[in-house]
Amino acid sequence: MSILISGARILDPSLELDTVADVYIRGGVIESIGDLAKVHADTQVDAKGMILSPSFVDLNTCLRDLSQIQKGTVASETYAAASAGFTDLCPSPDTQPCSDTGSVISMINSKAEAAGFCNLLPIAALTKNLKGTALSNMESLSRSGCIGFSNAGYDITDNTVLLRCYEYAATFGLKVFVQAQDKQLSNGHMHAGPTATRMGLDGIPVIAETLSISRHLLFMQHTGVQGHFNQLTSSAGVALIRQAKAQGMKVTADVGIAHLCFTDTAIQGYRSQYHMQPPLREESDRIALLVGIKDGTIDAICSAHQPHESSAKCAPFAATATGMAIYDMLIPLIQGLVDANELTWMAAIKALSFNSANIADIKATRLAISKAANLTLIDPNHSWILDVDSQLSQGTNQALAYQTLKARVQLTLKDGQVTYAV
Amino acid sequence: MSNLANLQLTQSGELRHFLTPEGLDRLMLERILDTADSFVVVGNQEVKKVPLLRGRTVVNLFFENSTRTRSTFELAAKRLSADVLTLDIKTSATSKGESLLDTLQNLRAMHSDMFVVRHSDSGAAHFIAEQVTPDVAIINAGDGRHAHPTQAMLDMLTIRRHKGRFEPLSVAIVGDIAHSRVARDQIHALKTLGCDDIRLVGPNTLMPQGIQSMGVSTHNNMDTGIAGADVIIMLRLQTERMASAFLPSAGEYFRLYGLTVQRLAQAKPDAIVMHPGPINRGIEIESAVADGPQSMILNQVGYGIALRMAVMSMAMSGQMQQRQSQANQPSSLIGEQK
Repeated sequence: MSILISGARILDPSLELDTVADVYIRGGVIESIGDLAKVHADTQVDAKGMILSPSFVDLNTCLRDLSQIQKGTVASETYAAASAGFTDLCPSPDTQPCSDTGSVISMINSKAEAAGFCNLLPIAALTKNLKGTALSNMESLSRSGCIGFSNAGYDITDNTVLLRCYEYAATFGLKVFVQAQDKQLSNGHMHAGPTATRMGLDGIPVIAETLSISRHLLFMQHTGVQGHFNQLTSSAGVALIRQAKAQGMKVTADVGIAHLCFTDTAIQGYRSQYHMQPPLREESDRIALLVGIKDGTIDAICSAHQPHESSAKCAPFAATATGMAIYDMLIPLIQGLVDANELTWMAAIKALSFNSANIADIKATRLAISKAANLTLIDPNHSWILDVDSQLSQGTNQALAYQTLKARVQLTLKDGQVTYAV
Repeated sequence: MSNLANLQLTQSGELRHFLTPEGLDRLMLERILDTADSFVVVGNQEVKKVPLLRGRTVVNLFFENSTRTRSTFELAAKRLSADVLTLDIKTSATSKGESLLDTLQNLRAMHSDMFVVRHSDSGAAHFIAEQVTPDVAIINAGDGRHAHPTQAMLDMLTIRRHKGRFEPLSVAIVGDIAHSRVARDQIHALKTLGCDDIRLVGPNTLMPQGIQSMGVSTHNNMDTGIAGADVIIMLRLQTERMASAFLPSAGEYFRLYGLTVQRLAQAKPDAIVMHPGPINRGIEIESAVADGPQSMILNQVGYGIALRMAVMSMAMSGQMQQRQSQANQPSSLIGEQK
């Protein structure tokens, strides 16, 4: 099967490429790039005004299978991910049952393979059942394809255990992913600030994040483990990573798209769709996160996709589940940042594809001849309404439900195969 | 925050839920106080009943322990001639949301007209009014540490009856601001009613972050905090604050922030002292002050019934209006379509 995508703006951050050209794909690879007006293909896509880029790699997502299928399944959520331009996903280990054994990992993997929408690059649990007391079988898990280890949102409070985790990971050159939140200090429901005070909700101070980042940086430094921080939220957190990088540490970081777009004031009126962990912070933090992407302190943007069933968000605020279903609104959210001159598509694509692929230790796609056709085609002007008919994630926790959104993926290709077409 | 006003008012601007004074304008707060004033008289009559809520069903839903608030609400509903059902519902921490939803929908199916809700989660009353039973009038009897609007408004009634206008007043609120559901509503109400000098007094551990953004000043020193004040509102200090490391001891707290006769002399000579009760003698207030001539503590209890009668009758009438206009609207639309 051959596909000709004509007239798209081609953006490839690895080659610093920003040009308008036609792309011809055959047998799963990019066969030619240029003015291909005379070339005939089985499928022809008129992509004038659209953006063609390497497909995306998600460093943090929740697919909900195996036993939380009321929230989402591997099939439903990997399809939703494909509709947001992703071909590779790093599922978080806080699955049920926990991703701390090879059998759980292989069951999730086989479901993804059967669905065929995305490759999985699982993050396994750093400690058994994420309890923070005993090490998981890291070496075996890495042999089953896990690309890193994390304790997800569960802080390991015992420093002896944490030291052993890092030492053991260092023994085998394994990467540790960290969601930096001090357990005791993050025992609230939203960012500690004027909005939390006004609403009478328990606050999570910024120091919950900075204390944890500092602590993990010291362990990384002490053991030589290469670490990655998931979902930074604060200006002070960005500053700590910037400092560590300046000192030559091989540390990387990502930010969830929601933290680039929303702040704690969105919670006013007890809007549980904005109940997140780690929490949305203030405007100055949001701006600092964007600056972090611009200056390279923050390497990647992740979805932090967390689908939920409707009853999970239908309760008094503190009793509601945390997290947003992101995939359906990821591209419109980025377009919003581009329209507000806060982010460029080139920077967004670099953070979603080239950099995240490097962090996940997979070969980043390049828009070059003879490379595998892992591509995302985005129409930045496509106007659509996010509702039950158009959403693909099973999650009903869509913060922008029933709104008219701008920009949408038109086509996602994984090794030349169409995994999503609008 | 106009959405808070929208949620609490009918299309024609009448009160239909009372969740917090935040978002309500001065005229509405004054109407509540005026109505309450008229009910103070009812309490002094031989027959303490008016037929305003006759035939209406009021359900007191207390998901959290409360004796004082619950009994004044019950009494207020009875004096308005309503049928009153009081339920003490203990929530299990794990299934809070679900049990709340189910309980409410069941009660709604029994054609209840008003829910008086006390719940340990901030925003619980808001959640019920917005998402669960918008056609039942909701009175917030305290949600988490967010709001306790009838307590705040009975404090306003106390201040107005004893001090008149709010504009020239200096009001000090002393103690555990961080955990107080009343303090926030007092601040909103005082601001809306024209009071400009609001001082919060307490140690940093009991002072919520960013509270200054509500237009108040904060003071760590009690003497400067209450200097020249017209009104001193003492907040109750829960003893568990010591166990959870907010404070070292009751003794040190009393020495630093307890209201004594000697300290009260820093305030204006005619200053009034208020406390939502129940009081901890010797922890936040000295008995000589609590029982002294400047204390309004018992007056507050009496005004509490009148204020709650006012809010209940106003919200019930607003809710009935809303129901009526909604009942008229859709049917006429269907008629037109045909």
